[in-house]
Amino acid sequence: MAFETGHDSASKMRFMELALEQARFALENLEVPVGCVIVEDGKVISSGSNRTSETRNATRHAEMEAIDTLLEEWQMIGLDQLEVAEIFSRCDLYVTCEPCIMCTTALSILGIREVFYGCANDKFGGCGSVLSLHDSNSEKLPRGALRGKGFKCTGGLLSEEAVALFRSFYEQGNPNAPKPHRPVRIAQEAE
Amino acid sequence: MARRMKWEIVHVPGEPERSLEVDTVDVFASNIEPKLANNIVRQLNQVVPLENLRHVKRVRRRTAEGKVELSVILCLSGEYEKDAEALPRGIHQLISAYNLCPYRAKVAKHAAISKEEWEEQCKLWPTSYHPSTNLDGIATLSEGELQLIFNYMDSAIQLTKMSYAGGKVQNAAVIVDPLRGQVIASAHDQTSYPCPLTFKTSARGGCVDECGVTIASQSDSNEFGNNQDNSVKKFALQKCNEYSGVSCLNPWGWTTQRASHQNSSGKSDNKFSWHPLRHAAIVAIENAAARDRELFPGLGSSESQSEPIDILPNPSDNCPSKRQKIQVFEELNMEKEFLHNSEPNELMRPYLCTGFDIYLVWEPCTLCAMALVHQRIRRIFFALPNPNAGALGSVYRLQGEKSLNHHYSVFRISIPEQNLHEIELNASNNSSNKAESKEEI
Ligand SMILES: [Zn+2]
Ligand SMILES: [Zn+2]
Repeated sequence: MAFETGHDSASKMRFMELALEQARFALENLEVPVGCVIVEDGKVISSGSNRTSETRNATRHAEMEAIDTLLEEWQMIGLDQLEVAEIFSRCDLYVTCEPCIMCTTALSILGIREVFYGCANDKFGGCGSVLSLHDSNSEKLPRGALRGKGFKCTGGLLSEEAVALFRSFYEQGNPNAPKPHRPVRIAQEAE
Repeated sequence: MARRMKWEIVHVPGEPERSLEVDTVDVFASNIEPKLANNIVRQLNQVVPLENLRHVKRVRRRTAEGKVELSVILCLSGEYEKDAEALPRGIHQLISAYNLCPYRAKVAKHAAISKEEWEEQCKLWPTSYHPSTNLDGIATLSEGELQLIFNYMDSAIQLTKMSYAGGKVQNAAVIVDPLRGQVIASAHDQTSYPCPLTFKTSARGGCVDECGVTIASQSDSNEFGNNQDNSVKKFALQKCNEYSGVSCLNPWGWTTQRASHQNSSGKSDNKFSWHPLRHAAIVAIENAAARDRELFPGLGSSESQSEPIDILPNPSDNCPSKRQKIQVFEELNMEKEFLHNSEPNELMRPYLCTGFDIYLVWEPCTLCAMALVHQRIRRIFFALPNPNAGALGSVYRLQGEKSLNHHYSVFRISIPEQNLHEIELNASNNSSNKAESKEEI
């Protein structure tokens, strides 16, 4: 984009690298490799990675993890709702995969400023792939519906790296590794 | 208007209600001699079967002035618009053999999805209709099951009563294992904790006048989207900010809930004294997950087998084998769940909330509805629509999003007025509580 300086895009890459690091951490823990960081004033203030397996709670996506860390911290130092909302409105999220419908809603509720993601999420994405909940103008909403807070959203940042992690998740296949007592069927179908 | 006195259940389909205007296609039809009907129809079905119009009846039977009149569809007319000579050969033969006089007619293009739509279609030309609700289970629910369903919803309503802590009425969620008849988890909104949970038996306040809640105007219609919508809307939020504490109705409202009691005494075992995302359904899912970890501590992360499919973007085109692999994982999962289980305990344990139902007083927002997709809930029952942000028909319709890998069935339960009244009473009690506490200060 024309208005972006080289420095800006370099720091975006740097933040996405950090998000990818989180995703790798998830992979090591046999979790789905998605990671994110939240940035305020050019500084990473929180990070998170998927923890759905460990918690057996399929809503514990990377975004939720990073958000909860902040909310806990800020409440500990006594910030109230208005103060918290004010900080979120200056925060950007970098996440390796497009936020799902749930996480997009969460980010809109919190009033985050901007989101950068790696690969698109064709099955669950809430930032354009399935729904466009980040765009408060786009949907033709029925009368009476509240318009959520929108945020700017840019995809495609280091998306190959993000996809490569998904691929190794399946290929190493750790948690999904075929159980030895059903080898025949797996061998056939994996071809 | 008649008052609603009993519990009722309605399926909320994945497709929005279509307008009754019938989409049509043009056909050539002809009147035929009743005694020739069998012959003609048999030959027509061979020569020009109505492949994409299976819902349309080939023969129309009408009685005019005491005489039976039969007409038959010869073929689609669209392609032969300009040139009747171009009709299929077999049709020409039939026309001359039986002395037919083809005329143009219109028939419904799609199968009807509601009885009303079907009735409209039949005014043009008869079609067949298979109510899809049968597939979704209402028709197959026994009286006993229905009673259980209504009881669970009632317990969710009770929970809204239990949960207002001198503050506002909140949404409540109950997750149930219907096979074992067991409550797995329950929760109410935890977006704000104004003060610790206390009970006051205060006299009923004047909420009805104050905020214009007119429950009695609920119509008898059990379709949501018409009359009832207005009164429920009113009930839900517009005039009565008593309901602004319902997280799914007002997801963006948390910044205005700046608590006057900003102390830590409201904290329970929970890390947060308030949390903009802790809607009832989210907390219930968390409680269900915690229960699972507690009951089955040994069964670690290897269980989350199909979760990857929840996040993995569609495999890119340069990797054709991906799709197949995902299929394999899904199959593996099915097997794991249903066929082989080495640990005896594991038989008892479903993957996430597979097979479980959730009862919510208010229709969930997209945050909660998507969370319930992730957690593999089987059926959602809610009582009150959410015109502000509802994700199951009011604003969005996640149960109809084809791309999602899991689809729950959704039902709305119409509750009797007296039960609606309870929720309303909670709100009015609260408002009078608030008034009291103001005076105390
Ligand atoms: Zn997500
Ligand atoms: Zn919600």
